[in-house]
Amino acid sequence: MSQLSSKSGLKQGVIDGLPLLGGYIPVAISFGVIAVQAGFSTLEATLISIFIYAGASQFLLVAMVASGAPLWLAVCMTLLVNVRHVVYAPNLVPYLPQSKAWPYLMHGLTDQIFALAHTRLPLMDDAKKVDWFKGVSMVAWLSWIVGTALGGIAGDSLTQQWPILDSVMPFALPALFLVLLAPKFSSKLWSATLLVTMTAALFLALSAFKNAAIPLAALCGAITFYFLTSHVERKQSHAR
Amino acid sequence: MHVDIWIAIVVAAIGTYALRVGPLLWTQRHFNKHKANNTEARLPAWLSVLGPLMIAAMLGASLIPKVPSAASWIATAIGTVVTVVVWRKFKSLGLPVFCGVLSFGVAFGIALV
Repeated sequence: MSQLSSKSGLKQGVIDGLPLLGGYIPVAISFGVIAVQAGFSTLEATLISIFIYAGASQFLLVAMVASGAPLWLAVCMTLLVNVRHVVYAPNLVPYLPQSKAWPYLMHGLTDQIFALAHTRLPLMDDAKKVDWFKGVSMVAWLSWIVGTALGGIAGDSLTQQWPILDSVMPFALPALFLVLLAPKFSSKLWSATLLVTMTAALFLALSAFKNAAIPLAALCGAITFYFLTSHVERKQSHAR
Repeated sequence: MHVDIWIAIVVAAIGTYALRVGPLLWTQRHFNKHKANNTEARLPAWLSVLGPLMIAAMLGASLIPKVPSAASWIATAIGTVVTVVVWRKFKSLGLPVFCGVLSFGVAFGIALV
């Protein structure tokens, strides 16, 4: 992280975005395969990835459309899965310098870009932030688009020929989240809160509430955080 | 593909973008108003707590292997430990992720054999 100041914003953004490729490309290939199997053409699947650009909700939308579910319901469910995004931008605003580019760049604000930006932007010069965001989000967006197109054209044979792509590379995402979160484990309060949140997410994602795992686990974490904070405050007031 | 399906996709795309950009514009306006009044703007405490919690939740959910099995869970545990150890040593971004994925792959391969 000490190298942050020595590179241009764009270059640093591209470099920081590279670990995302391991997670994005295999999932995007899967999306391309599933969309084509559901009756969409490769071009249509790629256009969905260009314009919606939100992993889990794209799978849901395509599956619901293919199953003949009412379209209004498919759209509502897509937006419901994506509603977690509303907390991302406000958490970044304190670190964003004035620029007219930010509203346009928000199309690229995925879960992973938020996690990276939330950790990297506070350490960066204001002058580099817009370019950094452009670099990192472009790497992610392009990999998602190219992965979808590849999946639509040759997904099945690709994953059969390169099984490592499907089974090993996706570990890049939890590894990245782990690195981004690691500095937070320096305090007992945060360590306990984050462990509860991670465990809750793990079990919720294994359960029937897979699509709601992230917001529900974050809610569990928030309750833990406030419970522990008030417990510590109560202890301190008793000690006085 | 039917036009109504395309309309649904366009609405979903616009809605998703609105969910990302709307809160940005609202928060920026809130911060700018404080700046104009020479007062310090702060995020509500609950909102700033939610940021790291969302990352932790994404971590928890993404730890589940694509095809859960004893081999993939062991590989996940080893990959996690290696990622943390390398991060503690180098405090960088790319190297711990690379070593984590590599150790996951090696452990997964060995566990399968």
